[in-house]
Amino acid sequence: MAEAVSPTTSEKPKAPRIGVFVCHCGTNIAGSIDIDAVKEYVKTLPNVEHVNDYKYQCSMPGQSNIQEAIREKDLTGVVVAACSPRLHEPTFRAATKDGGLNPFRFEMANIREQNSWVHMHDPAGATEKAKDAIRIAVAKASLLEDLYPKSVPVEHAAMVVGAGVAGMQAALDLANSGIKTYLIEKAPSIGGRMSQLDKTFPTLDCSQCILTPKMVDVGRAENIVLMVNSEVEEVEGYIGNFDVTIRRKATGVLSPAEAEAKGIVGGGCTGCGDCDPICPVTKPNEFEMGMAPRKAIYIYHPQVVPLLYTIDWDSCVKCGLCVEACGDKKAIDLEMQDELVKVKVGTVILATGFEVFPIETKEEWGYKRYDNVITSLEFERLICASGPTGGHLVRPSDGETPMRVAFVLCAGSRDSTGVGKPYCSRFCCMYSLKHAHQIIEKIPGVMPYIFYMDIRSFGKAYEEFYYRIQDEGAKFIRGRVSNIQEDPVTKNLRVYAEDTLLGRPMELEVDMVVLAAAVQPTELTNKTRKLFGVSCSTDGWLLEAHPKLNPCGTTTAGVFVAGACQSPKDIPDSVASAEGAASAASIPIHRGEVELEPYYAMCVEEKCAGCGLCVNLCPYSALALIEKDGKTVMQVTEAKCKGCGTCGGFCPGGAIWMNHFATPQIVAQIDAFLLGGEQ
Amino acid sequence: MVTKNYPDPKLNEKLRDRYYRRDQSNPEFTKETEKLAGSMAHMCYQCGTCTGGCPSAPRSTYRIREFMRRGVLGLEEEALTDPDLWLCTTCYSCTDRCPRDLAPTDVIMAMRNLAFRRDIIPVNFLKTVTAIYASGHGVPNNDVNRAAREKLGLTRDPPTTHMYPEYIKGIRKILDHYNLKENADRIIKEREG
Repeated sequence: MAEAVSPTTSEKPKAPRIGVFVCHCGTNIAGSIDIDAVKEYVKTLPNVEHVNDYKYQCSMPGQSNIQEAIREKDLTGVVVAACSPRLHEPTFRAATKDGGLNPFRFEMANIREQNSWVHMHDPAGATEKAKDAIRIAVAKASLLEDLYPKSVPVEHAAMVVGAGVAGMQAALDLANSGIKTYLIEKAPSIGGRMSQLDKTFPTLDCSQCILTPKMVDVGRAENIVLMVNSEVEEVEGYIGNFDVTIRRKATGVLSPAEAEAKGIVGGGCTGCGDCDPICPVTKPNEFEMGMAPRKAIYIYHPQVVPLLYTIDWDSCVKCGLCVEACGDKKAIDLEMQDELVKVKVGTVILATGFEVFPIETKEEWGYKRYDNVITSLEFERLICASGPTGGHLVRPSDGETPMRVAFVLCAGSRDSTGVGKPYCSRFCCMYSLKHAHQIIEKIPGVMPYIFYMDIRSFGKAYEEFYYRIQDEGAKFIRGRVSNIQEDPVTKNLRVYAEDTLLGRPMELEVDMVVLAAAVQPTELTNKTRKLFGVSCSTDGWLLEAHPKLNPCGTTTAGVFVAGACQSPKDIPDSVASAEGAASAASIPIHRGEVELEPYYAMCVEEKCAGCGLCVNLCPYSALALIEKDGKTVMQVTEAKCKGCGTCGGFCPGGAIWMNHFATPQIVAQIDAFLLGGEQ
Repeated sequence: MVTKNYPDPKLNEKLRDRYYRRDQSNPEFTKETEKLAGSMAHMCYQCGTCTGGCPSAPRSTYRIREFMRRGVLGLEEEALTDPDLWLCTTCYSCTDRCPRDLAPTDVIMAMRNLAFRRDIIPVNFLKTVTAIYASGHGVPNNDVNRAAREKLGLTRDPPTTHMYPEYIKGIRKILDHYNLKENADRIIKEREG
């Protein structure tokens, strides 16, 4: 196989001359691998012309060494034995290019993440493994060829999935920079979790007051195409050219524009609400956490954007009373069907948010068993002036005002039992402080008890807020609540915990318990991320490309993350990450073109029998059969090909050449490993 | 430890040095406890869930969280010589609720085993050993129970070693294998003469 000639080169390649550069990475590598022994060994390998070691190959002097060696020793290939290519492959490719070689004549041997770090207690074994890794890399580098990346144009449009505060901010930023932005939201209104909150810490701004102007901006923005009641159905393509299919769920209600398109002049939903009182079906309103009613034709609340009613098909009995009430506006269509819309965008931001973890699974706290144990999100609706009780905090059992309220922090967070979540949910400490403040403000003589393990008040003006709430009289008890019991007659609750600072167990009778429940990614996050090829952590949060240096990017080029779908984030952090993601997502669009890695498949036409087996195997629909010179051959759409190698591995005639991962290159690597370098 | 040597022993005790210092911490104690308990005691983050739901805590000075802390820090003497070590009822509520998924009950049992190696054990526990050796029961049947059982339509004695005393010798074999009876007798004699 090794003599097979690539279709990319016409001239005969010159004999390989490889330079090997071994990195110490301080003591990260040199601490467990014997660099001198590795160097001596590498000198004996075939094709190696130059061996060098340096404390930090990625530093400027380290890169200069590579460039000088390429020029002085007339190298044809470069091997750097250092860290993972995920970190420094771009660095060393650039150095290879600056030295005068094609950047794809560089190969990396990972002797850190996959070697020195995991074998730090076995220096001899680690050294032998490093020799193997370098021998394999040299074998490949000897057969590497010049490759040239292709540029593809980028569609001048973007998509944001999820219209909570992060998604809205990202969409506004993109739209304001002149990019047409599709904003996709599964709920009937934009606004997300933030629109359910009453006040926001630590400034105590009214959440709706600061959010609704943004919602209105989104509704008005010329560059934003807002699609509510919509979900991503299918994704095809790659950075610059994503073809996304959106399912617009049938809402049963026409917007004025949709009505006009159907020839109903002056018709469509104006949000007048005439349909609402006449609808005979009553259901719990999910926006109010089920604590207020809504009809089968409904809006969440008066400030929704867009102001359009929606029909809940699961409860609608199709009696037609609403159609009558709507009259000449003819906005209601009880036979409306889902619609699939295809859009093309250059980049995508996922902002799918969070939801509350089902805290009833932690049975010791009695949520859903005891009437007066509620979650923080329910508390938000109860304390909110526009909520179901007009802002009066009342006990669900009897409507009385609670005078003693216990707040249980870390409810399901920092929990390694497998029932709860092992991570810190990050904003519960702060909103619980805010809750304590709100009841002190609204209910004279009330006593909030905050059961905490650690108060994590790390943000700007957060610790000062903690100081303020303590000064206002809230009682902080350093202990996690062990269990809660309900008095069956009074429906009061007995909270059991240890005051760990006193070292005494305590029994506290209260009127209400608020659980600061852990949060988790929303239900649809997993489905959506898979459509876009984005990874997630073990807890389901979307995985960023690098937690510190690329927090908004993902491993899929052109797809970015914003807000709490990546990890629990409060409002300032969500908005900041949204602006970061919008900036990152706008770069390829403003540049207008992106370079694709030249790892695509190529057809060796003399060998291709035109059987077409590869065409159906390709997961990216990148292959097709064409007629050429009177012969049927396969053709690759290079921009669609991801270089996965499925076709190349399958082709019965060996007619597919995988650039940079060609069969002779891989066979040489295997030979080098199995035969110890003898060819 | 610095002693002040006040003439009044009460004052001496009140004013004694209460710093804990590194030499009181024995990392081997932590390891040994974890090995016996099969639980990572060093991962306790002191939330107090265990003590908060402990049936023994409101009635005594027993604080399971403090024993976990001693386990974390390797405070061997403090843990093993504290008589509270023997107040756990082994109800396992703390193990059920521990958010770090530890087993504080098993940590206590491990510490009890380590204490027993040094003959630290309350006499009543040893008398239970004697009772089991004699009858196969830690709490043998008595006439009140027998009458209650009869009233419920049960046999006067349960179908255990009480009904089949010929099996007591098997139980004795197990106890003798670990020299439990021998040690119990010896310690009781030392304490009570």
